[in-house]
Amino acid sequence: MKALFLGNVAADTANGIRAELIPELQVDIIADPKELSPEIAGDADILVTNIWRGDYPPGPRIRLVQSVATGIEWIEQAALQRGVPVCNAYGHETAIAEYVVMVMLVWSHRFREIESDFRLHSSWRPSWVHSGAPHGEIRGSTLGIIGLGRVGQEVARRAAPFGCRVLAANRSPRPLGDGVERVYPLAALDEMLPLCDTVAICTAFGPETERLIDARRLSLMKRSAFLVNIARGAIIDEDALYVALRDGTIGGAAIDVWWQYPNAAEPERRPSRHAFHELPNIIMTPHCSGWTGGMVRRRWDEVAGNINRFVRGETLINVVTTT
Amino acid sequence: MNVLFLGGFAASQVEWIAPAIASEVETGVVTDSDDGERIVAALGEADIIVSEAWRAGTPPAPRLKLLQLPVAGTDAVHTAALPPGVTVCNAYGHEMAMAEYAIMAMLVWCHRYVDIAAGFRGGSWRDSGVMNGPLHRELGGLTVGIVGLGQVGRETAIRAAALGCHVLGANRTIGEPPAGVAQLFPLAELDRMLPLCDVVALCVGLAPETRGLMDARRFGLMKRDALLINVGRGAVTDEDALFAALHDGVIGGAALDTWWRYPTVEEPDIRPSRHPFHELPNVIMTPHCSAWTEGMARRRGADAAANIDRFIRGDTPMHIVART
Repeated sequence: MKALFLGNVAADTANGIRAELIPELQVDIIADPKELSPEIAGDADILVTNIWRGDYPPGPRIRLVQSVATGIEWIEQAALQRGVPVCNAYGHETAIAEYVVMVMLVWSHRFREIESDFRLHSSWRPSWVHSGAPHGEIRGSTLGIIGLGRVGQEVARRAAPFGCRVLAANRSPRPLGDGVERVYPLAALDEMLPLCDTVAICTAFGPETERLIDARRLSLMKRSAFLVNIARGAIIDEDALYVALRDGTIGGAAIDVWWQYPNAAEPERRPSRHAFHELPNIIMTPHCSGWTGGMVRRRWDEVAGNINRFVRGETLINVVTTT
Repeated sequence: MNVLFLGGFAASQVEWIAPAIASEVETGVVTDSDDGERIVAALGEADIIVSEAWRAGTPPAPRLKLLQLPVAGTDAVHTAALPPGVTVCNAYGHEMAMAEYAIMAMLVWCHRYVDIAAGFRGGSWRDSGVMNGPLHRELGGLTVGIVGLGQVGRETAIRAAALGCHVLGANRTIGEPPAGVAQLFPLAELDRMLPLCDVVALCVGLAPETRGLMDARRFGLMKRDALLINVGRGAVTDEDALFAALHDGVIGGAALDTWWRYPTVEEPDIRPSRHPFHELPNVIMTPHCSAWTEGMARRRGADAAANIDRFIRGDTPMHIVART
């Protein structure tokens, strides 16, 4: 049996998990998809990747697609044989939940302005020594989590001990716990939004969540509200968010996931058609909230385990869909 | 009862304290900008004074019975200069804000927030997962050593434990480890704790046994990639030794909120140290503001007001730090 590890993330994964894989499994590693030959593609039984496109050489023998990421939207399923299970990988929950708590703290404590003014200008204005204007804290604030899946639950578990009141909105009913005080059906999101000081988007991308946060919903939020998106850019209406931040409809945002990504032709492509980088009230990071050493270790374990299960004919985990 | 808010800082706290006092009181405010006669008259009538400081040479306050500090720190009170029969109390409510700051500093450090955000605003995707960029660290799973398990240290421990840290503590007095703390070391055995820690958070006030506590030898005991956080007092760390340790990579980095130099009227923008900490890339620096939140002002105002009420009712006040 042959496994094809395609793309640079999959190539790193192959090198990291090789010792854990069943020895009989043959491994091809192609870091740059442009170098994928019809022979190698045609020989692969298992495809390990985060990307597959219709213009790649066909893979008629592929019987398992194991994603090295959680989101599988870059894997073009129509370009694969029908009936192939597509599995994803997690392991990023801790990292992303920490990121959400971090940006909540950075925002409420006005860390960016205070740190930079002190470093550059030695400004003591925000200090008690000059009786400066106090900043905020997250204790006592209300956090609304959209999507109480693996990431959302980990966010709740970390925010509650800070004294945050935690609400959530989820497609399916969820039991309370991990600090969550109330779970709204996603259809009742409009009831939750006006209550929140922070709204954290932790839901998967799909037809129900595309442009879930639009101009109308942004205007339901508090004028001081802080919106965090670590899920997928397209869950937020790009134009509406830019206008809401520029015009003060909401207080601010921390955005890790975007509407535009770099490519070979534009490696420094701006992440949106709007100049978010010119707005002072946005924390912006380049899709890295989950990108930690701990995530990689946990994710490699999941990927290796699933490949071995497939080779041994055992039941797979993390099956998202079947082509 | 006559309650006097004395000095510019106390004056800035009137809005948080005065409305929270339930008892019948008359309140007054005097600051250094008032004329001398007015200050003397106000002090002469005051039963209770709210001020963070009591200097030698303050005009007589013969009726004074309670000096309620609107802060936790007692370093600015010259007890010997107070009239006899005065109870001095401090106030709390800052500990949650400072614990949030300490955790924020740990997260910002592990997730390389400052560098990544600056690079991306400038247009670079080099740190992106999509570009298979360099990985950053998680706080969960790291060992956090808290020096000083007073209110600030205990609140920090609870939050660090909730984030999945292994929490150690060093304290002058040793009892049952507080919530979230896995192991407690006597302060005298700090040297045993330091080599175990990925983060060392200084949450102690300034006292003879904490002045210069963190010196060159102890920085040498820490991990080379460890983060030092100081929300206690600047002088708990040796200024020269810390600069050298950060400059030479003896430790990984520092998040400093308390300093060795503070602004004066002549130098309102004084640099906080004689060394250029602001030129070091591995320093997170803030101007003694970790506690300075609206929530702190509300909690501490309520704490001070409740104490004033307690005193007026004839109950023993809380947080007594001195009696003259």
